[in-house]
Amino acid sequence: MSSTRRSTSTTDRREALRRQQEADARAARRTGLVIKAAWATGFAVIAVLLCVIVWAVARPGSAGTASGSLVTPMGATDSGAVVIGNPDAPVTVTIYADFMCPYCGTFERVNGDDLTAAVDAGIAKLEIHPMSFLDPQSSGTKYSTRAANAFVTVANTDPTLAWNFDRLLYANQPAEGSAGLTDAQLVEFARQAGVPDSVSATFATQQYVPWVDQITNQAFDSGVTGTPTVKVNGQVFSGDLYSAGALAAAISRAAGA
Amino acid sequence: MRQSNAWIFTTMLASACLSLLASFVLSVDAVLLAADPQAALSCNISSVISCGTVGVSWQASLFGFPNAFLGLVAEPVVITIAVASLGGVRFPRWFMLSAQVVYTLGVVFAYWLFFQAYFVIGALCPWCLLVTLSTTLVFTSLTHVNIRDGNLFLPERASRAARRFVAADLDALAVAVWLMAVVTMIVTKYAPLMT
Repeated sequence: MSSTRRSTSTTDRREALRRQQEADARAARRTGLVIKAAWATGFAVIAVLLCVIVWAVARPGSAGTASGSLVTPMGATDSGAVVIGNPDAPVTVTIYADFMCPYCGTFERVNGDDLTAAVDAGIAKLEIHPMSFLDPQSSGTKYSTRAANAFVTVANTDPTLAWNFDRLLYANQPAEGSAGLTDAQLVEFARQAGVPDSVSATFATQQYVPWVDQITNQAFDSGVTGTPTVKVNGQVFSGDLYSAGALAAAISRAAGA
Repeated sequence: MRQSNAWIFTTMLASACLSLLASFVLSVDAVLLAADPQAALSCNISSVISCGTVGVSWQASLFGFPNAFLGLVAEPVVITIAVASLGGVRFPRWFMLSAQVVYTLGVVFAYWLFFQAYFVIGALCPWCLLVTLSTTLVFTSLTHVNIRDGNLFLPERASRAARRFVAADLDALAVAVWLMAVVTMIVTKYAPLMT
């Protein structure tokens, strides 16, 4: 009797153990499937992201692709500057700037009137190097290049208007990292600066982009490390660029010497 | 192989060294920037942070000193943990839990900075990106070890689930997907400028 009971309970235990093992195996299979599914999903997501990356890299640039041939603006110096003012003026003020550079904006807004006065009086001429190295700071619109191209396009026809245009662009300078002024805004500020529509209509052709690229590299090769860099008669101006009067005084001294 | 101590702590060690290097470069840059007001007021081509926009933003010194200093303080600790563990040292659970908590704060901070730079400042700097990458790898290797060794004082069920997750290398998969997503974010925004 008791042996029968024991054998029954052994059978029950065996049965329970078998069921438990089956349940464990099912659970393990389920876990295995979940893990496989996770890997498959993970790889699928990575594949999709890879496609997006390839697409983003292969896509042509949204603006300012320097594909054209090199066109040098009229009256540009060999060192890559646009000249504003009387070429025979006794003092040369050289300015390396990028239209997206916030400190260049401060510099121009502080010293703009003094520079205009010096140019108008025939004391100084300006040699402006419009650089484009801050292109990565305009959310993909290459504002530095677009603005420099527009500026050079104007300078090619009328340097005086180019200086007005330059001052307007810095007076309305977009924040670094923003998309910059739109092409339409560039045309509008050109109009405000007195640039004929026939000239501003050619901004879109981007014909001076290769030249802007070239002079940007040329400037760095010549030892310029940042913007704004300002030189008076070839000497780097080490005074205060951001307080009115300091540069004007240096120009007067250079003119007097 | 990835489950072995040698592999996981070597990953941690290498990532921590990279992070320390990046923090060092950024700290030196921050000090130079502070010492030379003229450099702080120009857009520099060779500077780690062009224009100093990232460098002089309030986000760059959230606690009143350059963020990179935090890396100089924290990464040597991670390096010590990794080297000692490679040498066979087992740290107490409370110690590893503390490391996990502090480093989690660090990685959250690193990503907060990344998103600030990406969406608000609009400028990324290469050394900052290296910090983002290396802190991610340190964080994930540390988490891997702590889950594996049960250092996190998780409830039993969660602990078992987490251990299965790690044993199947799904944490590596998650990191790969995550980093891929970050790269995609960067490339889609900045690729048009690299041409």
